[in-house]
Amino acid sequence: MTPLRQALDFGLVLCRTCGLAVSHLSVGAERRCPRCQSRIAHRTPSSTEMTLGWLIAGIVFYIPANLLPVMHTSGLLGETDSTIVGGILEFWRSGDWDIALLIFIASVAVPFTKFIAIGLLLLTVRKNSRWEQRQRTGLYRIVEFIGYWSMLDVIVVALTSALMQFEVLGTAEPRAGIAFFCAVVVVTMLSALSFDPRLIWDRRA
Amino acid sequence: MVPADPILICRDCDTVYRAIPLRPGDVALCRRCDAVLARYFGAKVESGLALVCAAAIFFAIANLTPILSIDIAGIETKANIWFAVRSLQHGWICVAALGLACTTFLIPAVQMALLLWVLLFARVGRRPPGFGPIMRLLHQIRPWSMTEVFLLGALVAIVKLANWVPITAGAGIWAIAALTTVLALLGRCDPASWWLIAPAVKA
Repeated sequence: MTPLRQALDFGLVLCRTCGLAVSHLSVGAERRCPRCQSRIAHRTPSSTEMTLGWLIAGIVFYIPANLLPVMHTSGLLGETDSTIVGGILEFWRSGDWDIALLIFIASVAVPFTKFIAIGLLLLTVRKNSRWEQRQRTGLYRIVEFIGYWSMLDVIVVALTSALMQFEVLGTAEPRAGIAFFCAVVVVTMLSALSFDPRLIWDRRA
Repeated sequence: MVPADPILICRDCDTVYRAIPLRPGDVALCRRCDAVLARYFGAKVESGLALVCAAAIFFAIANLTPILSIDIAGIETKANIWFAVRSLQHGWICVAALGLACTTFLIPAVQMALLLWVLLFARVGRRPPGFGPIMRLLHQIRPWSMTEVFLLGALVAIVKLANWVPITAGAGIWAIAALTTVLALLGRCDPASWWLIAPAVKA
């Protein structure tokens, strides 16, 4: 097996949009890919700063997303405001443990996994760590993959509100928490997309 | 199949590889970080076109027929993607409506339209106007298409409401399921692979 070498050793840069291996020499002053004209760089510019910024925004939005109600229902049984965790507990108590688990994974476990995983990646990259590089790259791919599944609760609330429009039996309306939750999904996805996993493998002086 | 790009660089760890021909079903993985470097790309322009047309038909059905409906004593409520988006329009919560509209309606629609545009031109052996910007846009919007999440959301909504009200799934839910499958197939041929059809296409 030939030893593995990085693109920099050969004076090559990867275009992350179209996958072309571009020689440093042909990049030019514009720093654009000769095939698709995307901006290219040896490493995504200010990747860690952007990732950290979006991550903090995500954590901040996650607080009102959980404290504020996501849905308001009114009907024969009176009026109630439900939060995300309240909704999960309700499912759990009424015996629908499978739905409770699914919403728990999408709305609580996935965001927390993202916060912790991205935080860990940022911290280890900053410390120039050589610890478990392969696993950390895998962790990044997991974060990238699970990102958008958190949108689940937004969709469930939207569909429930669209369907429960019976004046006598009951109505459901969205509440502010769901907008914050939607924001959490978007900014944590932006955070993951800003992260350049190649930083895990770089050895800076 | 001979890869169009003779040199592959790993997206996740920057390792350089010399490309080798792949057989159907082959996936090239990075030896250092296990990232997918390349997949066998057997899609012809025709099969791509067929998939995009199928996706467009499923998308139309999903948006024109109810995905879920409730009927209580003759009073019926229906829901599909668009109804779900509209129900989020409550004051400033409409930012969530915007997010939902983009991820489950606008972005899949734009994906299909752009792929159709590119493939139709490729079919007649021409490079479509705006090829570069279109391919860049397709690459950028790809993570934001959430049709499969909508499908799961609809299934959760069924189970959630079934305890209280008589809820039925309409034709739309099958269309969403089919759309998810077709978009996933198209997604496997990621936009980077579509560049492989570019050399055959005259500038």
